[in-house]
Order: sequence, then structure tokens, then C-alpha cells
Amino acid sequence: MPDEPSGRNLDGDAPVAESVVETESATITDDAELERTIGLTGGLAIGIGTMIGAGIFVFPGLAGGAIGTAAAASFAVGGVIALLVALPTSELATAMPRSGGGYYFISRGLGTLAGTVIGLSLWLGLVFATAFYLVGLGYYALDALAQVGLAVGAGSDAIVSVIAVLAGGAFTVLNVTGTENAAKLQNGIVALLLSMLVAFLGFGLLEAFGVVAVDTPPGQAANVWGAGPVLSVAALVFTSYLGFAQVATVAGEMKDPGRNLPLAMVGSVVIVTVLYVLTIFVATNIFTRDALLAAGETAIVEVGRALLGPAGALVIIVGGLLATMSSANASILSTSRAIYGVSKDALLPRWASRINLRYGTPHVALGMAGGPVVVLAATGQVQLLAEVASFLHLIMYGLMCVALVAIRRDRPAWYDPDFVVPGGPVIPVLGALASFGLIAFMNRLSILVGIAVIAATAGWYFYYARDVSLKGAL
Amino acid sequence: MTRVLVPVAVLEGGSVSPGLISLLGAVDVTVLGYHVLPEQTPPDQARLQFGERATSALEDISQEFAAAGGAADHRLVFTHDREQTIERVTDEVDADAFAVPGTTGDVERVLVSLSGDVDADRILSFVGALVGDRDIGVTLFLAAGAGMPGDGVADAAASESPAPAGGDAGDGTDARLAAAADRLRERGLDVDTATAAEGSPFDALIDAVPGHDAVVMGERAPSFRSFVFGEESERVAAASVGPVLVVRDRRADDESDEDAAASAADDTAPAADE
Repeated sequence: MPDEPSGRNLDGDAPVAESVVETESATITDDAELERTIGLTGGLAIGIGTMIGAGIFVFPGLAGGAIGTAAAASFAVGGVIALLVALPTSELATAMPRSGGGYYFISRGLGTLAGTVIGLSLWLGLVFATAFYLVGLGYYALDALAQVGLAVGAGSDAIVSVIAVLAGGAFTVLNVTGTENAAKLQNGIVALLLSMLVAFLGFGLLEAFGVVAVDTPPGQAANVWGAGPVLSVAALVFTSYLGFAQVATVAGEMKDPGRNLPLAMVGSVVIVTVLYVLTIFVATNIFTRDALLAAGETAIVEVGRALLGPAGALVIIVGGLLATMSSANASILSTSRAIYGVSKDALLPRWASRINLRYGTPHVALGMAGGPVVVLAATGQVQLLAEVASFLHLIMYGLMCVALVAIRRDRPAWYDPDFVVPGGPVIPVLGALASFGLIAFMNRLSILVGIAVIAATAGWYFYYARDVSLKGAL
Repeated sequence: MTRVLVPVAVLEGGSVSPGLISLLGAVDVTVLGYHVLPEQTPPDQARLQFGERATSALEDISQEFAAAGGAADHRLVFTHDREQTIERVTDEVDADAFAVPGTTGDVERVLVSLSGDVDADRILSFVGALVGDRDIGVTLFLAAGAGMPGDGVADAAASESPAPAGGDAGDGTDARLAAAADRLRERGLDVDTATAAEGSPFDALIDAVPGHDAVVMGERAPSFRSFVFGEESERVAAASVGPVLVVRDRRADDESDEDAAASAADDTAPAADE
């Protein structure tokens, strides 16, 4: 098995190959060192910050509206699947703590075709996810406007789209020109959100168990308990679990990756799963299905209002704005790593990851993220965007599990993970089956769009990079 | 051998003034070329794009240091966090001090601050190695208003006599300063002393700078003040324009000094365990 990538793409570029030494605090290459600057807190903030915006602030209305309290089970199913994938991902990431995350593991474990498909779908999946977060942001901005008295009646969907598009453009410009490090800010926002949620959920649980009482609006619609609906909602809300893979994309910059990567990935999945299940429980305890459905994307604001009055609603609106912003920002951060990983391996033209001299930022990669994000955000299709993002990520998750099994079988000399998933092939096999299985419960339109994206990326491979060989290389 | 780390923002036109290069002529130098990246940018990408240019600039700088006398090598780091990088590399090359580069011509006299809770013993031996047998004058400076515990200088002065008494700090700043000056004079240095009785130690130090071309000071533990206003050494460098050499405080790891020296020797070569 070759130890080095080989071959050339259509432009005549070969993958960049070199020997590097990974230490706990830096990656040492032949001519320079790359400082590892993201600690465990930073890793958790990326993971939780990406996930919480969707799971808490956008989905409760949609999911609870569809099946009531049973949606808590959907979130639990999603959390279990995410955990089944997070463990194998941790093992791969500690063996290959490089930028690019899932793309890197799959291209090394399963070869260039799978690598190209996943590398490009990781980018596009993040684009769909970011567009989804921005539409969520649009709904919260609309609610905020309503809160200050600017009620918008007709045409509110169009306004959501406009806000989402403006926010997408603003994020891209800020990321290209901004040289201030937002990481500290992100940590602060996540800490603030978590403490808000703990207070909010604590109060909600007291109410649920009858310690305090609030007026719950009447409603008749019963909960829908049943494997089919629960799984189909799980497929929809799985977008709330994409964050841990974002942690893997910055693996090259994590301090002490052998310890911090598994902790950040598994830890963020466990924390958000608990929060999601409790949120759904509280929300569906106060509102019945039809009431949640009527409140839509920002139903959780109404839950806040019912629990704590106008102040509660305001806190949730502010939280929703912050959370969807932090989700979108963290995703754009990962996208630049994803594009860089692919272009370093000559699967995209080199210029895709060029750095702007004036700002020191990868303006092409950020533009390749921001451009399509704005287009997709304009559609305002929350459900479609979320499901396509989930679809593309689930394909990657399934293949990461397969890649783990393949790499363990091939055992390249360099494969020496610090963290090993216990139980042999059981967890990765279950993770792969669950990831692919969940796709079957999605909307047909989402599946078709997802398949079209995959087909396009495979076409790109055959057109541009069929001679590049990456399998087994480090 | 005494080693000084000189961090240079190598891709942003950072350079080292000729005065600093000749001042460091008697010691070994590691030039740390760094480039700080915004978090949107993968450091590896910056290395691929800028690595060669940065390396050739660094080679030029370390050649200038080598031409001035001491042994010089260089390292190149792409980072999101400058402080973390300087700290790590200072540890890895086991440097005794790091420089905050400033502008100066030929250095004729350096100002050495012993104010506050600093590792005075190391500062004095560093100054001895820095000056060597060259004709560079030294002014020892102690701000009495610094509220220092006093053991640092007292210990340094007492290290010649075998019985360091903990309680003689009350003798005043002059006695300790004189002891420190004597220690340097024994090495053949031209030493003056200066004290400041009142005012903030920082302002007093800046007031003492005129007539000196560089400042040597000790490393301090991070404090609330440094959190708000930035590192003291950076502020001194900004206010005095000239270069500042910050001597590391290693009183804490003096006990495990031998282990540290052994492992630091391994770390210097960028080929670690894996």
C-alpha cells in the first residue's frame, strides 16, 4: 500500500505530500511549525455552538408540531446515532488530526472517489446547513421586529428570506475582512446560551412536575407515538447533530488532540442530546401539537412567553438570534477547512484555498461557501435545507464508519490512534447502518436533491481528479 | 550558553534593528519568525502559500545575527495565538530571555530593572552574559514604590555569602542595589545605580529610560493589570521605543532544572516522539 498520495489532476497539480510530526501543541513540518491553538473549551464551543441553534431554537416547533411529545424520542434517536458516529470519528481523528475532518478520513480509508464525493459534499452540506441556520436567524429577527412593535402580516416569508440573504452576505464579508478572533466571543456566547437554557429548562421541568403552575393553552391533538413518525422526525431534526463533525474539520488546530478531540466530539453530542430532549419535553408539555405547529419555527419563543411572560419571550428571541448566528459562523469556519483539505489533495483547483494578502483570509473558499449559502437562504425552505444538509452529512457519517473498519483491516503503518472505540467493529457497523438507514425516512424531494449533489460531485471526480490516488496515504 | 529568543512578525515586514543585533552579539539567538492568522484561515494553507518567502527572510535575519558573533538559528511558526507560540518556543529552545524588538542604534548603555517580584539572580547573570567583555554600560534600576517582597535582590546579593537572611529586607533598596552592582562589577562591568522613591514603578522606569538604548527586565506572573493594559514588557517597549529583553523567571522550575535541561535538549530538534 502506498504511503504517499500520487497522481495528477486536470490542471497537472499533484497532492501536496510531505512528512510531518504531530506533537501535542504543534504540527511540525519540514520548514515550519503550525501552532495548535484550540483547547477543549474551544472544541466544545464549536460543537455545541453549531448544534444548539438548530436543535433548540428552530426544530421544537416543527418536530413537536408533527408528533408532539414523541419528538423527544426522535431527538433521542438522533443523539444515539450521532454518538454511534462520534465514537468512530474520534478514533479516526486522533489517528489523523488534520484539517478537513471527515473528508480526510474517508479519502485515506476508502480512496479518491469516495473522498472527492465526501469532500465536496461536506462543503455543500455545510452550505445547506448554513443556509438553514440563516433562515432560522431570519425567523428570529422577524419575531424580534414583532416584539418591538413592527408587526409584519402578509409577506413575512419574503422578509425572512431577505433577512437570511442579508445575514449570509454580511457573514461572508465579515469572514473575509475580519481579522479579529471571534473564537473568544463564540466561547462566551455558548456559555451564555447554556446558562440561559439551564435556567429555562429548570423552570420548565418544575412546571412539568407540577411544582409551579402556569396556564397552558388548551388543545386536543394527541401525541403521535409510532416508529415511522418518530424516525421520520428524527431524520428531519438530525441537522441538530452536525456539529461534532465540525470539530473534526479543525482537528489540525486542536491542542493535545489525542485527549481533546474525543472529549469535544462525544461531550458536545451528549450535552446537546440532553438539552434537546428536555427542551422538547418542556415545550410539548406546555403546548399541544397543533399549537406548536401554528407557532412554527419560533415556537420556543411562545414556550418562553407561557413560562416566564414577555421577559421569557425576549430572552428566547435574543438566545435564538445568538444561537443561529453562532451556528452559521462556526459552519463557515469549518467550510474553509473542508475546501482547503480538498484542494490540498488536488481534488479542487489550488486557487480555491488561496489566501488574500490584505486580510490573510481564504477569500475564495469563503466566497465558495457564502455565495451558494445566499442563494439557498433565499429559498427560505427550512425543511428542505435541513434535510439535504442531514442527507449529505449522513452519507459522510456512514462512510466514516466504513472507513474506520477498512483502515483497521488494512492497518497502515502510521495508523496509531490514541483513542480506540471499544467493542471491535460493533459500533462502527451500527453507526453506518443507522446513518444510511435514517436517510430512508426523509422526504422524497430531499433525497432527490441529495442524490443529485452526490452525482454531481462524483461527476467532478471523473472529470477533474480521476488520476489522483489517496488511499492509504497519511 | 545563554540563549535569547527574538520573535519577528516575518511576513508583516518585521525586522530587527542593527543595534539589537550587535547587542545580542555575545549570546546565542533563536529567531522566531511567526505569522498570526485569523481563525478563518487554516494555518497549513498559509504555510504552503507563504512558507518559502518567510523562510528566506528568516535566513537573512539569522545570518545577520551570526555575523554579529553568536550562534543563530531560526524557527517559523504559523499560529492563531502569538503569546502561546512565543511561550512554547521559549520553553522548547530553553531560552533565558526573549526580546521585544524595538528600534535602536549602537547600544552604549542598558537599563536593567530589578523592581518588583522578579528573578533578580537570573537577571544579573543574564546581564553579565549579555554584556560579556564589551564596553557597554549598565544602569541598575530599582523603584522602591514597587512594593516588592525584596527577597529576590537580597538572595542574589547574598548568594556570595553563604547565609541568606530572610529578614534583612528592611535595609532599604540602596543596600540591595549596591550588592547587585558589586556582583556585576566583579565581572568587570561598568555599573551605575538609580532608584526612584515614589510614583508608579512603570512610570519611574520609563522616566529612567533616556540615556539608555535598551531595557532588560524580569518576567512577571500575569496579573489583572497585565490583563487590562497588556504585558508590561510590551508597554515598556512601546513607551521607550527601544528593544526590551525579558528575562524568564525560572525560580519555580529550579528544583527540576536538571530534568528540564535534559528534555529541553531533545525538544530543540524538531523531531519529537512520534
